[in-house]
Amino acid sequence: MNDALRFEWVRIRTLPSTWWLIASALLLGLAMALSVAVATHDEPRGHEVVGVVLTGGGANVPVPLIAVFLAVIGIFATGHEYRYGTIQPTLTTVPRRSTLLTAKLVVLAATALVVGLVSLLLNVVVALLVWGDLPGLTDWPLNEVLPGHVVLVLLWTVLGAALGQLFRGVPSALVVILVVPLVVEQLIFSLSFVPMLDWLAPVVAFLPFTAGQQLVHLGGVVYGQFFDRWVSGGVFAAFVGIVLAVAWTRFNRRDA
Amino acid sequence: MITAEALHKHYGDKVAVDDLSFEVRPGTVTGFLGPNGAGKSTTMRLMLDLDHGGGVTLFDGRRFSAIRHPAREIGAVLEAKAFHPTRSARDHLRMLAAGSGIPASRADEVLELVGLAEVKRKKPDGFSLGMAQRLGLAQALLGDPPTLILDEPANGLDPHGIHWLRDVLRSLAAEGRTIFVSSHLLSEMSLMADDLVVIGRGAMIYNGDVDGFVREFTRSTVLVRSPHADRLADALRGLGGVTVDLLGGELRVSGVDVDEVGEIAFRHNVMLRELTAETASLEAAFITATEAVEEYVGGVA
Repeated sequence: MNDALRFEWVRIRTLPSTWWLIASALLLGLAMALSVAVATHDEPRGHEVVGVVLTGGGANVPVPLIAVFLAVIGIFATGHEYRYGTIQPTLTTVPRRSTLLTAKLVVLAATALVVGLVSLLLNVVVALLVWGDLPGLTDWPLNEVLPGHVVLVLLWTVLGAALGQLFRGVPSALVVILVVPLVVEQLIFSLSFVPMLDWLAPVVAFLPFTAGQQLVHLGGVVYGQFFDRWVSGGVFAAFVGIVLAVAWTRFNRRDA
Repeated sequence: MITAEALHKHYGDKVAVDDLSFEVRPGTVTGFLGPNGAGKSTTMRLMLDLDHGGGVTLFDGRRFSAIRHPAREIGAVLEAKAFHPTRSARDHLRMLAAGSGIPASRADEVLELVGLAEVKRKKPDGFSLGMAQRLGLAQALLGDPPTLILDEPANGLDPHGIHWLRDVLRSLAAEGRTIFVSSHLLSEMSLMADDLVVIGRGAMIYNGDVDGFVREFTRSTVLVRSPHADRLADALRGLGGVTVDLLGGELRVSGVDVDEVGEIAFRHNVMLRELTAETASLEAAFITATEAVEEYVGGVA
C-alpha cells in the first residue's frame, strides 16, 4: 500500500491541473468570502452571514464551490487514466486494483481535507480583516456547519473519483456533477411546490446533492422537506457510497 | 522465462485468443507476429493481467499478480502514448518509479539511455510518435527488469531509430534478458528475432525459430540461367514433385535443391550461366502462413 500511496502522491502533485484547480478553489472561496464580508460590514453579524462567509455560500448555493473543484480533481484522478491510456503503466506498476483505488481515495481525501481546512482558515482571516471580529464559531449551528463543510468537500471529492472510474473518462463524470445538482435536482425541487406535483415532495429529501447541501445549512430545517443535517448528509454519503461500490466492482471485474 | 499456458479470451461469441500456449526463452528476442486483429495485443494484456480471461502466464515461475514490484521484473509497454500530456517525461517516470520502490534518479538514467535527456522536463504533448516510443522504452527499462514485453515498439521510429531499437533489444537479450516483442515490420523482425510466436484469429500458427518458420511456410527455389533453359526445364519436369517456371532463358525451380539441379544439368549436357539458391523471406512465409486467417482483407483498386 505504501508504494501505491507514493505513486498516487507523485501522480497528483506532478499534474499542473491539480494546482490550478486548488488555486482556483481557494481564490474563488476567498473572493466569495471577501465580497460577502464587505457587503455585510455594517450589518449585525448573525451565524448565518458568518457561515456564508466561511463556507463560500452555505446551503444557499446549489453546488458548493470549493467542493466542485475538488470533485474535478477526483474525476481527473481516475478518468485521466482512461483518457490518456495511462491505466496500462499504472496497473503494471500497481497491479492490485483495490490497492490502487484505495490509494487514490486516501490521497484525494487527504488533499480535500487539507484544501478544505486551508480554505476555511483563509476565509476566517478575510472575515477577521474585514470585520475585525468573528463571533459564534463554537456556537450552534456553526459548530456543526464547519465540520459539515469539510465532510461535504470530502464526499464530493470521493464522488468525483468514483464517477471518473465508473464512466472510465472525464466528460460524463463532469456532466453528472454539474447537470444533476444544477439542473435535474433544482427542477425536481421546484416542481415539488406545484400543487399537482406535490407527490414529489417526499422525494426531495432523497435528492442526493440537495441533501448533501444540508450539511452546511445555517438555519435548521428548510421548508420541512429535508431530514436533519446529519441524516441528510447520510443520504448524500449513501449515494456516494453506492456510486463508489458500483465503480469499484466494475473496476475489479472489467478489462483495464 | 515466460511460460504462457492455455491463454484464452472471448468477446461474446467471438474468440479473441484461442488456447495459446508458448514459451519465451531468456537470452533471446522472441517476435510476436499476426495479422491485424489476430489477438496479439489481447494476448499481451492477458499475460499482464490487464484483461480478464483464461489461462496462466508465469514469469520465472510466478504469476504477474504475485510479483510485489512488477516493474522491476517485467518492463511492459503496450501503448505508445500512454502518458499524461502535461506531465513531463521525467515526472512520468518518477511517478512510476515511486510506485515500484525505484530511486527517482533512475528516471534520468533511462531518459539518457533512450536519448530523451534534453526534453525530459518538457511536456510530452508535443512528442512525435518516435519520441513517445522512446519514452515507452525508458518506462520499460525503468526497473532494469529481466523481462521486456513490448507491443509494436518500432512504430513511428525513423530508420535510425529502428536500427537503434534493434541494437538495444539485441544487446538486452545478449545480457540474458527475456524479450517478447510484437511488430508489423517483418524485415526488421527477421533481423532482430531469434524465435517467433505467430498467431492468426487468436490461435497458434507457429512457435519456434525464425528459420524454421520460413522453411515451413515457403518453398525455397533455385534460380537457373542457361542458353538451353527449355531443355533443362523438360529434364527437371520429368522428376516428381518439381515445379518449374520458365521465363526466357531463366528458370525458377522448386522441389529440388541447387545440387540436384546442377547434377541434372550436367547429365543433360546443359551449360549454365547462373545457379543460385533463393531463400524465401520472412514476409513471404508470414503471408503464406496467415493468408487463411486474415481478419480484415481489402480489395485491389
